[in-house]
Amino acid sequence: MSSEAPSIRLFFRQAIARALAEEMQLDPNVIVLGQDVGSFGGSYKEFAGLYEQFGPERVRDTPVSESGIIGLGVGAAAAGLRPLVSITYMDFLMLGFDPLINYGAKLRYKTGGQLRAPIIVKTTAGAKGQGVAHSQCIESWLMSVPGLKVVAPSNPTDAYGLIKSAFREEGPVVYIDHKRLFPTAGDVPIHETAVPIGEAIIRRTGHDITLVSHSYMIRVALEAAQLLAKDNISCEVIDLRSLAPLDIECLSASVARTAALATLEEGQITCGVGAEIIARLQEKLGPLKAVRIGALAAPVSSNPVLEAACLPDIARVCSAIRLLLQSG
Amino acid sequence: MRGSSERALLRTMMLIRGFEEELQRRRDHGFQLLSSGEEAVAVGLCAALIGDDQLLCSGRSIGPALARGLDPGEVMAELLGKAAGPCRGKGGRGHMAAPALGFFGAHAVVGGNLTIAAGAALAMQQQKRPGLVACIFGDGACGSGALHETLNMAAIWQLPLLLVCDNNQYSVSTPAIQVLAPRRLASLASPFGIPSRTVDGMDVLAVRQAAREVATAIRSGKGPAFLECISYRFSTHSTATRETRPILELEEWKTRCPILRLTSHLTEEGSLSDDTRKQLAADVAKTIDGAIAFADAALWPEPREALTDVV
Repeated sequence: MSSEAPSIRLFFRQAIARALAEEMQLDPNVIVLGQDVGSFGGSYKEFAGLYEQFGPERVRDTPVSESGIIGLGVGAAAAGLRPLVSITYMDFLMLGFDPLINYGAKLRYKTGGQLRAPIIVKTTAGAKGQGVAHSQCIESWLMSVPGLKVVAPSNPTDAYGLIKSAFREEGPVVYIDHKRLFPTAGDVPIHETAVPIGEAIIRRTGHDITLVSHSYMIRVALEAAQLLAKDNISCEVIDLRSLAPLDIECLSASVARTAALATLEEGQITCGVGAEIIARLQEKLGPLKAVRIGALAAPVSSNPVLEAACLPDIARVCSAIRLLLQSG
Repeated sequence: MRGSSERALLRTMMLIRGFEEELQRRRDHGFQLLSSGEEAVAVGLCAALIGDDQLLCSGRSIGPALARGLDPGEVMAELLGKAAGPCRGKGGRGHMAAPALGFFGAHAVVGGNLTIAAGAALAMQQQKRPGLVACIFGDGACGSGALHETLNMAAIWQLPLLLVCDNNQYSVSTPAIQVLAPRRLASLASPFGIPSRTVDGMDVLAVRQAAREVATAIRSGKGPAFLECISYRFSTHSTATRETRPILELEEWKTRCPILRLTSHLTEEGSLSDDTRKQLAADVAKTIDGAIAFADAALWPEPREALTDVV
């Protein structure tokens, strides 16, 4: 996208609402289902205005039945609607794994192409003082499911563009917001655009190390890169945007230049996003100097001291990168 | 012969029984979940369905698929893993589907198809299409949270959903009375204000009658309904499972065989002569032979199909 394209400053939640309003205008089959999505406008006001514009049938408040509404959404998608199901917190997505993973992700395959489930499950990950069952980042669990696409924007422009692309997919997409991103703003193109699923983007160029991240942690990565630059360590920061499929081409081209890789995620590093990226790049490029940065191997408490202690931050990213580059 | 005449019902039940008996003689299909004994549930229900309707079921899919009118040869091909099956052999018994024929399909997670069926019903309602969605599930699914969530959503949104509990009284080896608190499973619908009925699932005419009545109510916009059919499977849970039920109980239920029952009824009524019955049996045997021949001659999918229709 050209930086000269005329744009408008929008908060993250407004970018989401705009993408949905446009899609609902375009296609009467688009519906929004979830808890508090109606007149309340969503827990983060990301559905504000949709209920008033499109009514209670298309913007439907649901009971607290995460498994039920994902199943309902998947079934409705297979039968011709284009539902977006909102699961307030990613932790609750676990309740809907059966319809999403056992049914939705496999539907096209198991029916030999007769049925597809073009559903978007929109959820919110990340820690912001809400405790052990409202803070998790489990996106890497989803990356291993054939048939599932997973996206996680770091800014309003990508939030808008990825939702637009998700509505053009033929199968299920899990779209992941981050609680700490809702108050952020960004320049969203005035004209309708889309961010292709499967394309990462270089946020900062550099030549000493490639630092890969996604969602809110991109902000941490960019600040760490700025700090490291003062020590003459030049970081190339890549925003994945799409976790499944991964843009291995973009990543490997960068790592081929920098010859070092750090992965940063808010979730667990065991079987995490970083573990997968490092393995894929080693298979492609041979042995690599690499480090994974993520949360401590512990639950994320609502206690502010313990939450901060658990999560990766700028200092931890900087020290991990310094250590890696010093290791020769 | 299709349709909902008594003779057509008899023929379809005989087809399911004979089809499954053929399958039981073979070992080249892994294992199967047979519907024998429970034919009247799917056949009676399907007699109340029309073209615009969609049927979903559990992994015990052979009866429902044949009752809904899928080609026996293609069903056999799917069960044997052949690419001539409606799912190109990828779904098998657990995931048979032919949505263009009104068979949205099987799903082999117990209770897993309930919320999916509600979603298909929501799509029909929202797109103002005629028709209803029927979902057959076993007594085992009545222990799942999915049923509670489905009943609730179907009730609050008055979805055109017909929930059919094929209560064969066992989950593999576990008797329903041991693990489900409600004595009458249809009563599960009551707190949601969903009308419910319990019928003799070994009596195809009773199932047809009840299914027609509730389907008519659903079509007239009265919202969902719950139909419990008390049945009994004549085979083990799957062709690979050992029998654990009391032999006397099994023998007693076999005397209530839905095929024998309808045959006697039609014979006593004078509408089924010996000759006609023999002709039906010969006709069914020929259909099954044809299905086996079709499936045996059909090709396996190419190994590369492991990667097609994935994303």
